[in-house]
Amino acid sequence: MAANFWTSSHYKHLLDQEDVDMVNPLDKEKGITLEDFKLIKMHMANYILKLAQQVKVRQRVVATAVTYMRRVYTKKSMTEYDPRLVAPTCLYLASKAEESTVQARLLVFYIKKLYADDKYRYEIKDILEMEMKVLEALNYYLVVYHPYRSLSPLLQDAGLNDLNMTQLTWGLVNDTYKMDLILVHPPHLIALACIYIASVLREKDTTAWFEELRVDMNVVKNISMEILDFYESNRMFTEERINAALQKLTLRP
Amino acid sequence: MTIEALGQVNVTESPTAGSRSVDCFEKLEQIGEGTYGQVYMAKEIETGEVVALKKIRMDNEREGFPITAIREIKILKKLHHENVIKLKEIVTSDGPEKDEQGRPGKSSIHGNKYKGGIYMVFEYMDHDLTGLADRPGMRFTVPQIKCYMRQLLTGLHYCHVNQVLHRDIKGSNLLIDNEGNVKLADFGLARSFSNDQNANLTNRVITLWYRPPELLLGTTKYGPAVDMWSVGCIFAELLQGKPIFPGKDEPEQLNKIYELCGAPDEVNWPGVSKIPYYNKFKPTRQMKRRLREVFRHFDRHALELLEKMLTLDPAQRITAKDALDAEYFWTDPLPCDPKSLPKYESSHEFQTKKKRQQRQNEEMAKRQKMQHPRLPPIQQPGQHAQMRSGPNQTIHSQPQVAAGPTHHYGKPRGRGAPYGSNNMSGGGPRGSGSSGGGYGVGAPNYPQQGGPYGGSTAGRGSNMMGGNRNQQQYGWQQ
Repeated sequence: MAANFWTSSHYKHLLDQEDVDMVNPLDKEKGITLEDFKLIKMHMANYILKLAQQVKVRQRVVATAVTYMRRVYTKKSMTEYDPRLVAPTCLYLASKAEESTVQARLLVFYIKKLYADDKYRYEIKDILEMEMKVLEALNYYLVVYHPYRSLSPLLQDAGLNDLNMTQLTWGLVNDTYKMDLILVHPPHLIALACIYIASVLREKDTTAWFEELRVDMNVVKNISMEILDFYESNRMFTEERINAALQKLTLRP
Repeated sequence: MTIEALGQVNVTESPTAGSRSVDCFEKLEQIGEGTYGQVYMAKEIETGEVVALKKIRMDNEREGFPITAIREIKILKKLHHENVIKLKEIVTSDGPEKDEQGRPGKSSIHGNKYKGGIYMVFEYMDHDLTGLADRPGMRFTVPQIKCYMRQLLTGLHYCHVNQVLHRDIKGSNLLIDNEGNVKLADFGLARSFSNDQNANLTNRVITLWYRPPELLLGTTKYGPAVDMWSVGCIFAELLQGKPIFPGKDEPEQLNKIYELCGAPDEVNWPGVSKIPYYNKFKPTRQMKRRLREVFRHFDRHALELLEKMLTLDPAQRITAKDALDAEYFWTDPLPCDPKSLPKYESSHEFQTKKKRQQRQNEEMAKRQKMQHPRLPPIQQPGQHAQMRSGPNQTIHSQPQVAAGPTHHYGKPRGRGAPYGSNNMSGGGPRGSGSSGGGYGVGAPNYPQQGGPYGGSTAGRGSNMMGGNRNQQQYGWQQ
């Protein structure tokens, strides 16, 4: 038994950014760049969210599903594991793991409703088969810890737990799933980064509070920078660029 | 203790090339059976290590990987403790497997190559508590009972601080190895809980005999106290030599509890009148708590601890942590060192049932020769083994199949009474006038309703969940 978080085997298994940013050789052959790779994952995170809103599951399920999807692509290629199938499958699996089961046929129904494009069209049997592959790729590790849990106690401790700050930070945490942060950083540090950004935006002085926390502020600030960078470049992520990236996957090498 | 530290981080293990194949193992013997699937003792070919393989049945699943298996895997991957069974890995079988009769397996539905089967690989344990206790002549010593109880509580405390409810604590889910180690197993009904207890959980959990009053009364907001009731039942069973609440259905179960623990009211259990079925099961006569009286022959500290475990009000029931601090564990005779315990030949409930049946058949043949079909079974040494199992298949031609479906690794859920009424009838230990009252020496006048093994006992461990598995899985917010 690990005595605390820092000595736990879990801590040691968080991934380095370089490992997360490794484009699978099979995908590379098709001309997928790191940029494309990130873009497709972001697009799939959005896809999962859109589907989730249709089938009405909690935000937690979305967060878990996106994490599964991102974990899969640290080990598997997009060439072999089509993101357009992996994304809904991860939502399907996450809905079970988070105790808000969604029937496969319902997912298939809404997939058809959301995308007329044939490339998104998958049937129940495809999802069920991919489910097993995803489980294997995840090595059956299904428990995901999210920043949401630490958010409200932290806000309360900082005396920032008013509705405005709560909503703002919650929204920021939602957006972190458009990046790979959850694979790289402990969830409570992601929560702190979101609080940090929110407090700067709302001009709340939290310097003293952050100083009292025994956390590495450099890491918190780095995460914050990454989130801000993402917002900065967000408007460049156009539909065309996403489609172009996905198009490369379907090309024969 | 671990507690917060564990699981604060999102783990991914080092990359693997997918799951290994079940062909890495050689199946030796079936040691369990249930709707969930079979359980085998197996040997890893490469290392010679003996393991237990629990098959996850996929062929009936319309919704892919069964959510019950997901729950169990999720939780077992999170728990790492010497008193919790270790899930070593998950292996798959690609080819269509041959079924028990040697017919080739059905071709996989949806053409999924994994339909051949998925197995959870566990460390192998020699016994389960029920199997061990049912061995003819078995008598546990006090230091031994203390040793088992302390390990059970330690494992359960670990689960509870990690916010996991086991929800199916019973003898056949407590595994024991020949080093005397006790491990909690079968997390198929387990789930995570949050401390606020606001979530609605299903009350259709825990094997009937070990199910606490709050669940029988239909509450859907509950916590770790449900497991502690089951622990109390096991504790009393170890001391008494037989199950203390062998109800055959839910009303009878509650009645048995009320007879021993008294009926609940707003005084001993504030808020009880708001629980859904409280009025429905309100006893018509006054029922006083008589636990101390019935078990007065127990050791003082044991009785004191049992009182606190079998407390009706879950809010007042002792926690695993406090139970570990009880005088009982810190007074002579002290719990023994697990390693000092005797080593027994492997026994699982699944197997002891088989053996018992063999004995019964022999006995039956003997009796038929003597033309005394109703003669009570010959008393074997250690009569509690007799008392608990009621080996009395004297008038049934249908053998009690060794379907003993309550083995820890895999057992039936959602089936009514798998070996229902043909289990206990005719003759029987009570008929022989052996210890009179249901609660034995201590309580000759203890009221009985049909006797502990009368009529159609549902059988130890039948989960009484009714309905089918799918309904259970998808119909409820568990």
